[in-house]
Amino acid sequence: MQCKELESELESGRLGWLSAEAREHLGSCVSCRCFLADLETIVSLAKTIPAEVEPPARVWVSLRAQLEAEGLLKEDVEVTEPDAAPRWEWLRMLSRPRSLATAGALLAVVLTAVYFMRVPSGGKPSFATNQPAPATLQPGQPVSPPAAHETPVPRPAAAPTAPRKTVVASNSSSGAVPSKVKDWKPSPSESASVATLSGDGPDFSIPGLQPAAGDAPVDAALRQNLRTLNEFIAECEHRLRQNPHDELAREYLNAAYQQKADLIAAMMESARSEH
Amino acid sequence: MQEAFLQLYRKIGTFRGESAFSTWLHRMTVNVVLMRLRKKSLPTDSLEETMEPDADSSAPKRDVGAPDLRLTGAVDRVNLERSIEKLPPGYRTVFVLHDVQGYEHNEIAGIMGCSVGNSKSQLHKARTRLRELLQEEVREQAREERKAAKSQSGSQE
Repeated sequence: MQCKELESELESGRLGWLSAEAREHLGSCVSCRCFLADLETIVSLAKTIPAEVEPPARVWVSLRAQLEAEGLLKEDVEVTEPDAAPRWEWLRMLSRPRSLATAGALLAVVLTAVYFMRVPSGGKPSFATNQPAPATLQPGQPVSPPAAHETPVPRPAAAPTAPRKTVVASNSSSGAVPSKVKDWKPSPSESASVATLSGDGPDFSIPGLQPAAGDAPVDAALRQNLRTLNEFIAECEHRLRQNPHDELAREYLNAAYQQKADLIAAMMESARSEH
Repeated sequence: MQEAFLQLYRKIGTFRGESAFSTWLHRMTVNVVLMRLRKKSLPTDSLEETMEPDADSSAPKRDVGAPDLRLTGAVDRVNLERSIEKLPPGYRTVFVLHDVQGYEHNEIAGIMGCSVGNSKSQLHKARTRLRELLQEEVREQAREERKAAKSQSGSQE
């Protein structure tokens, strides 16, 4: 093999894949050996050069400006929520209907499970049970005055009849509050049950839920939760009375109603199942 | 480069998936660069012309039998990058695509619009030319060092 033939072989194939004749020629030709060694040095050095180099940040800034100028990129529309006092912030996540429903359902399940685990065997539930089992009302059924032998039952289903609302951006162009939200008022038949759920009413006005002597710690915790909810409901109602257009307060209030309704429903269900 | 990115963004909807996305990107970038150079009235040999196997004397030649300067240990990445900048555009493109970025010859052929054989030939010529440039640089460095050593010993005397 001649030097030119070796070079043709190098040109057509990879450096490391040489024929037997080429390798034999390399053994006897210093020039070709040096040439091949130099090419291998160049290739190995080239591999150390970064394949991709990140452009400087100004390139992206300039690109974005150009794309926006051509109308190919649109700025994101920012929807800001009304400034909430710090104490409201932790409830902001709960104001979404989906997470709210999930949280309410989870809370009811957990409380029921805890209750069942903590009730002493053969013992009575901690709720007062000297009354007959309360009648179960259907949603929408008006609350009738309690009979002598009946226990008035709250209507947790009344609260959910309030329309669910979506978050309204405070910077909407018209600034108008949706009429459904603004004009909602509980109907007279619902007022009684709403009052039951509201924070203004006395705590645990529902017979059957009054503290009984010798309550298990879980029941104390449940009552504490209800107290907290009632306080929160009272605060929301107070805020709404001061400013009927406070959408955030209205949303929190509805969420709190739902939570309380779920909690009471769970407690009543567990009381009924014990009987 | 920015214009290349902008053009890619504008034309992204025209990608039909007939080739690899990277191949399409490269092709579009090459076209953008050529258009820009033509607008500036700079000489633009078409890359196809550059890629043609040239039989003229411009092709790098290896002096058979000439005292070769071994590059191993004498050059580093900085030397190589400086020499790459001095390569003709066609050689530089193929060398960077293959030896730096790791594209195969069939991919390079798709990007550059040439044959696989052409791509291999141009790569070999690029490497040979780089070898010449690096040898010149090593010789230049050796000359500078000798000059510096002479002037130092001269000043001491």
